[in-house]
Amino acid sequence: MTTTIAQPSYLEGKKGLFSWIFTLDHKRIALLYLYAIIAFFLVGMTLGLLMRLELLNPGKDLVEPTTYNQIFTLHGVIMIFLFIIPSIPAVFGNFFLPLMLGTDDVAFPKLNLLSWWLYVLGAVFALATLVFGDGPADTGWTFYAPYSVKTGTNVTMAVMAAFILGFSSILTGLNFIVTIHRLRTPGMGFNQMPLFAWGLYATSWIQLLATPVIGITLLMIVAERVFGIGLFDPSIGGDPVLYQHMFWIYSHPAVYIMALPAMGIVSEIIPTFAQRTIFGYKAIAYSSMAIAFIGYFVWGHHMFTSGMSGPAAIIFSVLTFLVAIPTAIKVFNWVATLYKGSIDVKPPLLYALAFIFNFLIGGLTGLVNGALAADIHVHDTYFVVGHFHYVMFGGTGFAFFGALHYWFPKIYGKLYNIRMANISFAIFFIGFQLLYFPMLVVGLMGMPRRYYDYLPQFHVPNVVSTVGSWILATGILMMIANLMVAYWKGKKARKNPWHGITLEWQTSSPPPLHNFDKMPEVNEKGPYHYKNAMDQ
Amino acid sequence: MENINTHTPQVAVSQHISSYKLLFTVFAGLILLTILTVLVSTTFTFSVSLAVALALMIASTKALLVAYYFMHLKYEPRFYKWMVIVVLALFTFFVIMLTIDYFTR
Repeated sequence: MTTTIAQPSYLEGKKGLFSWIFTLDHKRIALLYLYAIIAFFLVGMTLGLLMRLELLNPGKDLVEPTTYNQIFTLHGVIMIFLFIIPSIPAVFGNFFLPLMLGTDDVAFPKLNLLSWWLYVLGAVFALATLVFGDGPADTGWTFYAPYSVKTGTNVTMAVMAAFILGFSSILTGLNFIVTIHRLRTPGMGFNQMPLFAWGLYATSWIQLLATPVIGITLLMIVAERVFGIGLFDPSIGGDPVLYQHMFWIYSHPAVYIMALPAMGIVSEIIPTFAQRTIFGYKAIAYSSMAIAFIGYFVWGHHMFTSGMSGPAAIIFSVLTFLVAIPTAIKVFNWVATLYKGSIDVKPPLLYALAFIFNFLIGGLTGLVNGALAADIHVHDTYFVVGHFHYVMFGGTGFAFFGALHYWFPKIYGKLYNIRMANISFAIFFIGFQLLYFPMLVVGLMGMPRRYYDYLPQFHVPNVVSTVGSWILATGILMMIANLMVAYWKGKKARKNPWHGITLEWQTSSPPPLHNFDKMPEVNEKGPYHYKNAMDQ
Repeated sequence: MENINTHTPQVAVSQHISSYKLLFTVFAGLILLTILTVLVSTTFTFSVSLAVALALMIASTKALLVAYYFMHLKYEPRFYKWMVIVVLALFTFFVIMLTIDYFTR
């Protein structure tokens, strides 16, 4: 091995705004995404807090019914299209995929920058609905026809936002697929790739293949609104169920765009903090591909009460249960990895364990929704809202923040206050349970979703839920404050503070512009062969 | 300072040159299929469903010809052909499920 002089880090290179917003460095683009995504997450969270405040008591507290509809639509659009879908791939995928593969950038750096600019343009469109026309869309983030065709609110601009954001997602997926196929460092076969890269690979295929479908569907909404073409509105010869088919052909696989990278992160964190070779590497890797594949065949389970035919519903219900198999394979393997490991309970591990806990509740309540007969009762109730938030926020959201804690020392070269991170995690976790578990309960009691008002018998669980939202927001703000303090005043982080053995830990913290001062060494026995990890 | 360029593709890029004769033959085939599409739409006026089904089949054939020759799928490794087959399988599943839904409502 050749000894080399350390190069300056990517943070110490060119200065100034333009050096960032026109950068081709994957790490800087990742940080552009990070700051934008965190900002939109906070906007979405504020809208969520407003909704919970309105639901503190029955009847009108704060906003008019239409305003409430617009708030939950904007909350959904921002959280889905501007936070969860891009979050892990765009931030941590962009930053760490080339590092983990031992290369110096993604395959198409200019396309990568274009993705970010498209993201910004889509975000501008989404936020512009606030000030143009008759205000933000009031359809829900699903833009269901025929209401989305008829409402006077700013649906056209909102769906154009989703359309543009879709292109950003497609380009990121394309970039990652080519990077994984063509730019792995010499000696790294597919079965030597870290599991986060496997998760991104499976995700990228969904981004590439499913996203165009939603693009076309949303354009059809615009065509119907602007030109009156009868596609989905039955009064002019359209079929609203066709819209739901086309919407969910994308949007169910999109759930796996959100979940698979999160599962990849858990697969990174657990072996590092158990200091143990991951149990069932190939099973976890291939189950990512299986989830991505099966995920294409289950979209109809969102439509059991839509008027879709019985035989089609039965087929979709059966296929839905198949997705549980590869998901369970992952969970069992993660737990088996922890068994007899040298467990070091640090904040990233806490987030990973919270992911497993929340995702189990989200997954098992998903089986209730996937069962035809049970779904008739819980469809369009708060049970679905609770299930969805357990999977997306409890799963992907926790994994996102877990990844932020795991890789923060590598990204910035600084260490955060572990004690404060633990405390903010505890408050965040408790707030989360108080916020969303009562939704499962009131949902089973029959409280419908998407209403600004409710019957008095649902009052107590709604109070608990609203108080939970305040606790959750406190935990999140503490966590962000802790990380910001670490950025400004944190101690310098070592190259490998958690004793990880994937390639990103072989370079300095923060990494140099071209990622590695010397060629990274690939472990021939696999990316998680921990035998000598403590010697590093 | 050691200069490391890790941005090196793992797979060697292979070259191939298609003859003009082949490309023009495929182009002529595409023109003929376009004419056929017009003929189908004017001939099968008694059954719109049949005309649409035939037009879709012709369009699919044209798409395959474009992918195979003009987009060079013919010269790609078998792995990439399988990728296209998987995508076509997914699309077929979408169409089958929509058809089942429509005909059993």
